[in-house]
Amino acid sequence: MDLQKMMDLPGALAAFTYSDKGELQSHVLREGTELTPQVLDLLARSCVANLAIAGMEARGWEALTGQSGFQPIKGFSVVGLEWSVVVNGNCGVVVKNRDADYEASFNAVQAA
Amino acid sequence: MRIVKQLMAIPGVIAAGEYAYRGDRFSYEGALTDEFARMASIMCRANTLSVNMQSEIVDSFSENCGCRPVQGWIVRGNQMSVCAVGNYFAFIENRDELLNDVMTIMRAKVGDVQDDLLVNLYARLGGDTKEALY
Repeated sequence: MDLQKMMDLPGALAAFTYSDKGELQSHVLREGTELTPQVLDLLARSCVANLAIAGMEARGWEALTGQSGFQPIKGFSVVGLEWSVVVNGNCGVVVKNRDADYEASFNAVQAA
Repeated sequence: MRIVKQLMAIPGVIAAGEYAYRGDRFSYEGALTDEFARMASIMCRANTLSVNMQSEIVDSFSENCGCRPVQGWIVRGNQMSVCAVGNYFAFIENRDELLNDVMTIMRAKVGDVQDDLLVNLYARLGGDTKEALY
């Protein structure tokens, strides 16, 4: 996974990879950002949980409603006050909200 | 409902709705039944509560790091996505640029979600939730 390439996304503040359990494995931080490796570790853990919950909800929704198109889940994003974290699989990127290109970010974490 | 109508005017938006933070009301437009809209509202409220709880934990390790209050979340599905900003949600197709357009409109129209969000989300728990939280 090329974290430096993910840092080229508009407004990227950090890029990181994590294990299936959500343990932070590698990361790149933009100089001057208030994000820390500890924050990225917490984000990774929460995002693993959120992806699992989203997968469960998508499965249940499709089964109950007969609608299709959610599974498999291709990513999850939490939009904070100043930045958003976008994750899928085992990697994620944090982008500034005012510059965020969510589609490009989801495509990047999907390709990684 | 004005925001919902504006969202529904965008090609590729399948359904959009608004739910009360307290969880006792919802309204919607688009390709959902009343029961599915109720389910979607419950799901969106639960996810919003969950990510806000998570952001409180993150913030306790790095105060004012820019994560809280959470403004919303996105689930990217294979062909459809769900966007939630504040107490509004939208089911959209995965078309080029639609996600960015919908998020820009939702953020602009809903405005910044304030810190009292959790108080309202917890309001059904009973007692003085404001005192308990802050």
